Amino acid sequence: MKAVLEREYAAIKKKNKFLHNIKRDKWLYTLLLLPFAYILIFKYAPIYGVVMAFQDYNIFAGIKGSEWVGMDVFQFIFQQDSFYRALKNTLLLNVYDLIAGFPAPIILAILLNELRAAKFKKLTQTVLYLPHFLSWVIIGGMVYLMFSNSGMVNTFLDNLGLGKIEFLSQKVPWLITYISVGVWQHIGWGTIIYLAAMTGINRELYEASDIDGCSRLRKVWHITLPGIKSTINILLILQIGRMVSIGFDRPFVMGNSLVSDYSDVISTFVYRVGISSGDFSQATAVGLFQSVVGLILLIGANYIAKKLGEDGIW
Amino acid sequence: MNTRTKKKAAILFSTALLAGVVAGCGGNNGNNEPAASNAGSPAAEATSGPVETLTVEVFDRGIQGQPDLNNNTWTKYVNEKFGKPNNAVVKFVSVPRSQEVDKLNVLMAANEAPDISFTYDGTTVTRFAKNKGLYTLDELLEKDGQQLKAYLGDTVLDYGKYEGQQVSIPAKRTLLAWNGLFIRKDWLDKLGLPVPTNKDELYDTLVAFRDKNPGNVNGVIPWATAAAGMNYTFGNLVPSFWGPMSEEEFVTTTNWLKPGNKDAYKWLNKLYSEKLISPDFALDKTAKQADADVTNGKVGFYGANWDYPLTAKMREPLKQNAPDANYVPIDAFKNAEGKYIKETYNENGLFSFIPKSSKHAELAMKYLNWMADPEVLFFLQFGEEGVNHTMVDGIPQGIAQTGENMQMSNLNLDYTLVVNGAELGDTEKNVKTYAAALATGDKDYEKMAVDSYAINTTDGYTGFYYGVPNEASIKYGKTLGDMNKQMMDRLIVAKPAEFDSLYDKLVKEYMDAGGKAVQDENIKHYREVKESSK
Repeated sequence: MKAVLEREYAAIKKKNKFLHNIKRDKWLYTLLLLPFAYILIFKYAPIYGVVMAFQDYNIFAGIKGSEWVGMDVFQFIFQQDSFYRALKNTLLLNVYDLIAGFPAPIILAILLNELRAAKFKKLTQTVLYLPHFLSWVIIGGMVYLMFSNSGMVNTFLDNLGLGKIEFLSQKVPWLITYISVGVWQHIGWGTIIYLAAMTGINRELYEASDIDGCSRLRKVWHITLPGIKSTINILLILQIGRMVSIGFDRPFVMGNSLVSDYSDVISTFVYRVGISSGDFSQATAVGLFQSVVGLILLIGANYIAKKLGEDGIW
Repeated sequence: MNTRTKKKAAILFSTALLAGVVAGCGGNNGNNEPAASNAGSPAAEATSGPVETLTVEVFDRGIQGQPDLNNNTWTKYVNEKFGKPNNAVVKFVSVPRSQEVDKLNVLMAANEAPDISFTYDGTTVTRFAKNKGLYTLDELLEKDGQQLKAYLGDTVLDYGKYEGQQVSIPAKRTLLAWNGLFIRKDWLDKLGLPVPTNKDELYDTLVAFRDKNPGNVNGVIPWATAAAGMNYTFGNLVPSFWGPMSEEEFVTTTNWLKPGNKDAYKWLNKLYSEKLISPDFALDKTAKQADADVTNGKVGFYGANWDYPLTAKMREPLKQNAPDANYVPIDAFKNAEGKYIKETYNENGLFSFIPKSSKHAELAMKYLNWMADPEVLFFLQFGEEGVNHTMVDGIPQGIAQTGENMQMSNLNLDYTLVVNGAELGDTEKNVKTYAAALATGDKDYEKMAVDSYAINTTDGYTGFYYGVPNEASIKYGKTLGDMNKQMMDRLIVAKPAEFDSLYDKLVKEYMDAGGKAVQDENIKHYREVKESSK
C-alpha cells in the first residue's frame, strides 16, 4: 500500500511539480500576491517613466506628447558644476557614514549580547531604538538648540573658558556633527539584525570555550564575530550598493548655506531642479544615473565578496 | 494555524490590498469624473442642471488656531453669494505657503491643479504658458470678465500676458512699498542718540547698542536677521552702495557685478565680525529665532517687509514680553548722491490662472469677475461691521478674531485673488485702513504704518518689465535664486581676510551656473524694448 502511494506521488511530482506546489500551498501563494502586487505596481510600473530622461518633458503633453531629445538632458547635467559637487558630496558623506556608521551597530550589538540582566538589556535596547522614530525635522531642531553658536554646548564650553566651536558652520565640525548625529539615530535600530544573527549561534560553542578557559574578548573574537560574519557581509554589500543614493531629509535639514559646499547632495539637487524648478527631465536623468551607478557598485561589491570566498547576496 | 484560518486571513489580506489599489487609482479619477460629466452643461442655465464644483487654491500659512480653510466665515460667504446663484460649490484646495511652487508643479503635472490656481512666481506662470498648460483668457475675459477688466485696468493686466495673450490674471497691488527698516526708539532715547540717517551713524548706533545694552537684556542683538530669503532683509543697504551706471546697466546687470556691490557685503561682513549681527542668522532657516529675538525685546534694529512689525505674530508677543519696546521705521541707507533708492513693487500681485485640465474655465472667470465687485471685496477684506470691524472716520478698524472669523492672511489676501492690500480708493486711506485692520485699531501702529509706507516708497524704483519671458531664467532661475541666498549668507559670515577672494570665486560660479545667460538675454530684450519704443 505504502509503496503504491509513493509511486503515485512520484508520478504526480514528475508530471507537474510546479502546479502541484501551487495547489498544495495555494493560500500561502495568495498571501504572496500582496508583496508581489506591491513590487509590480510601485516598483516596476513607474519604470516606464525613465523615458522622460530622454525627452524635453512637457508636463501637459505627457510622455506621449513630449519631444525626444536623445542624450541632451544628460549632456546638460554633466556640464553643470553643481551636479559634480552634489555627486562628490553624496559619495563623501556616504563613505564617512560607512566608516563611522557601519561598525557602530556591530560593536553595540556585541556589547548588548554580553549583558547578563535580561531586563536591563531590554531597557537599553528600547532606549537606543527611540531616536530611529524621530523625524529629521525634529532632530534638526534639537541639533540647532544644542550645537549652534548660542546653543547649549557652546554656552557651556564658553563659560568654561574653552571658547566656542562652530559645529554647524565650519567644514570639519559640521561633518563630524552630521556623521555623529546619523550614527546616534541609526545605531540602536541597526543592532536588531545583528542581535538576531547572534541568537542563531550555537550555544555549545560558548560552553566549549568556557571549558577551554576562554576570556570574554576571545569568545567575541572567535565565536560571535565569525558567527555573524555572513550577515555583516550582506549588509556591507547592500550599503555599498546604496553609495550614490542618499536620503533627502538629513542633508536638507542639517545643511545650511554656510556649509552648502559639503551639504548639497544628489537628493537635494534633484529636489531643486525637479520639484522646485519643474524640470522633470533633469530630475529623472539624475535618478537614472544614480540607479545605474548604484547597480554597478552593488554588482562590483558582490563580485569582490565572492572572490574573497564569502557569501554574496545572490 | 489551521487551513480555514489561513484561508480567511489570506482572503482578508488580499481583499484589503486590492481595495487599497482600486481606491488609490480611483482617487485620481474621482476629481475629474464629475467634472467631465459637467463639461457639456452650459453654465448659463445656471440654476438648473447638476451642481458644478469649482476648486480654488488657497495658501495654508499654518497660523496658530486657524479654522478649516474650506469651512469658515469667508468660504461660507463665497458659497452663499457666488455659489448659490451660479448653482455651484466653491471648494478651496490648500497648498502650504512655503512650498507653493513645488506643490503647484506637482499638481499641474498630475492634472489635478485647482480650477483657479495662483502663484507669486511669474517665471512659473511663464513656464506653464510656454508648455501650453494654461487657458488663454482673452475671450473669457471679454465675455464674462468685464467688471474684472475695468477694475484691474490695462497696466495690471499686461503683467499677465505671454506672447500677446492673456494667460493669467494678476492681482492689483494697492500698496507698493516692499522692505522697511526698524529701530528701537526707546533705546535711542535712553542713550541720547539721534535717529541714524546714514550708514556711519547707523554703525555708531549699533556699536552703542552692543556696548551699552540699553535694554539691559541677556544677549543683546544690535541688528537681527535670519538666513537669506525668509522675511528678514537688509532693506536697501545694497543699492545704497551702488555707484553710477547707465540705465541699461542698472536694469540688466546682475546685482553681483554692479559697481559697489562688493563693498556692500564687505560692510556687512565687517559688522558681522564685530558681533553686531545675529550670530546664528545663517542657521536660522525658518526665521523663527529672529522673530523670537525681536519679540523678546533683545533686538535694536532689523529689516523686513515694510509692514512686518504690524503683523499679529510680531505685535502681540512683543507687547507682552517688552511693553516698552517702540520700533520706528527709518531710512538709513543714503547713497553717494544723497538719495535713499530702494526697490518697490510693481502694480501687480499674485498671478491667478486656469490650468488646461480645468473643466470649469467659464465658471472660474465668472468667479474672478464676481470678486472684483467692491461690495464683495469689502466683505472679504473687512468682514461684517460690528463683528469684524468698527467704522471710525470712514476707516474700518479691525477687531481681533479667533475661530472661524479669523483671517489667515493680511486682509484675507489669500481669498481675495484680484487684490493685494486694502482697497478703498486712495493710497493714504488704504495705508491707514491696512494698519487699522492689522493692528486692530491700535493708533500707535497706525502712525507707524503711515510713516513706514511714506519712507519706503521714497526714491523707489521698480523692477524693469521686459514683457517677454527670459528663457535662461526659466531654466536656471531656481538654481540661481538658491545660489543668491547662499552667497549672501556665506559672504557675510566669511572671515574678513578671505572675503575678497571668496566674493570673486562665488560670483564666478554664479555667472557660470547661468547668471551670464540670464544677463545676456536681459540685455537683448532690453535693447529690443528700447528699439521698439523709439
